[in-house]
Amino acid sequence: MDIIILGFGVIGRGLAKVLYNKSDYLSKNYGKFNVVGIADSSGGIYNKDGIDLLKAIEVKEKTGKITNYKDAKKMDILDLIKEDGDVVVEVTPSNLETGEPANTHIIESFKNDKHVVTANKGPLCLCFNELITTAKKYNKIFRFEASVGGAMPIINLAKETLAGNEIYSIIGILNGTTNYILTKMEEEKIDFETALKEAQELGIAETNPSQDIDGLDTAAKIVILANAIMGLNKTIKDVKIKGIRRITPEAILLANKRGYTIKLIGNVNRKKLIVEPTLIPKYSPLNVKGTLNVAMFETDLAKEVVVVGRGAGPIETSSAILSDLISIYKEIKK
Amino acid sequence: MRIVLDIEVRDKPGELLKILTPIANLGANIISIIHSREERVGNRIPVRFVIDVEEDKFKTLINELEKVAIIKLIDGQKKKRYVDIVVIGHVVDTDIRDTIDRINTIGLVEDLDLLMPHPDLESSATMKILIDNYKIEELFYLLDELEKEKGLFFIKTLL
Repeated sequence: MDIIILGFGVIGRGLAKVLYNKSDYLSKNYGKFNVVGIADSSGGIYNKDGIDLLKAIEVKEKTGKITNYKDAKKMDILDLIKEDGDVVVEVTPSNLETGEPANTHIIESFKNDKHVVTANKGPLCLCFNELITTAKKYNKIFRFEASVGGAMPIINLAKETLAGNEIYSIIGILNGTTNYILTKMEEEKIDFETALKEAQELGIAETNPSQDIDGLDTAAKIVILANAIMGLNKTIKDVKIKGIRRITPEAILLANKRGYTIKLIGNVNRKKLIVEPTLIPKYSPLNVKGTLNVAMFETDLAKEVVVVGRGAGPIETSSAILSDLISIYKEIKK
Repeated sequence: MRIVLDIEVRDKPGELLKILTPIANLGANIISIIHSREERVGNRIPVRFVIDVEEDKFKTLINELEKVAIIKLIDGQKKKRYVDIVVIGHVVDTDIRDTIDRINTIGLVEDLDLLMPHPDLESSATMKILIDNYKIEELFYLLDELEKEKGLFFIKTLL
């Protein structure tokens, strides 16, 4: 199966590492997963015989541009999408305001006869219906497990393993950064700013942490879940959002005294989509610590189902992308 | 129809009579009364009534009883529940009495725990609110209003 990777940042390179490290395993169990194209903001490279992934990672990390890779044709990203290949993996940075350029990349991939796997929340939470309709129109497979909950199985779990169940609601912690900050505040009785600074020093929070701590990242994820799993037609504008900036160590202390902890919870049901700090009983399965993510499904047949896992990180996210690639491989080899 | 009501009444002379009066006025028939003095909660005593009442008078009976007592269970189902909330902000300076009074129009703030780290910093408090199950949405709507009006920040319990 020939793969084109759009976006060669932390996630793109993480996927390249995983594909390289797992190449024997993949060949033995499925078939050859061959990366023929890679693009970053400098442009794209293509070699129909395959790109040397270790070399590509080295070039990107040393020079900052994938187009400095030799032994491949150089071209614009949109031309790269037109080259021969089976699947496009879209992992450019998420833009929660416009969804671009990822939205165009995905639509063009369908039009140019490619299946798509993405981890990109922007287009999914802004133009979900357009993407699904276009994929159907061109008879292409569209998978996006990595967009929510990183390595934690959530979309495919609901759509495949829990198939036949009606999902009434999904409640969870879908952002590892805020969970880390709140856990630190609770355990070390420190204020929000100190915990945020520590998270930034450890690389858990970004230099501009707003998307995480103001709840936008979680909001984008619950919109994806609402649309992909519950069949709703929502955008990020439909979500009531409150972040964690105003949480004080005293508030956490008082909550603890009453048997609760405070978590940034995303909550989606047929009536509403909400992201807000919430009091969670300490004994609840939703009380997971550190950077862990958790999601609880409430369903008609299986009742409550809870999954816990690592919500971020290049290798963890690549696990979800790889599972989508394998499922596409199985489908097209039928 | 026959209903079982679990009610809490204040431990004061004449309180039981206040409950019996509306029941009698509506022509309902009391089948039994169990007065559990040993299970006292604060200054209130749980009393279980088994009553035969005409179906169309049931709602009026509940409304009248609520004026004089706290109904905990109807046919074993919880009518009321406790909701814990955390509030962050200038909790005292934004007229805490008014905040509580307005919450009390929907439920009842039974307990308040307040921490004020420094006069310049925001305070944090927890409130334990007793409320009818069907009024929770109304309470949350009020909290949203108070947030906007007083610049407070409420953290609600996951229901």
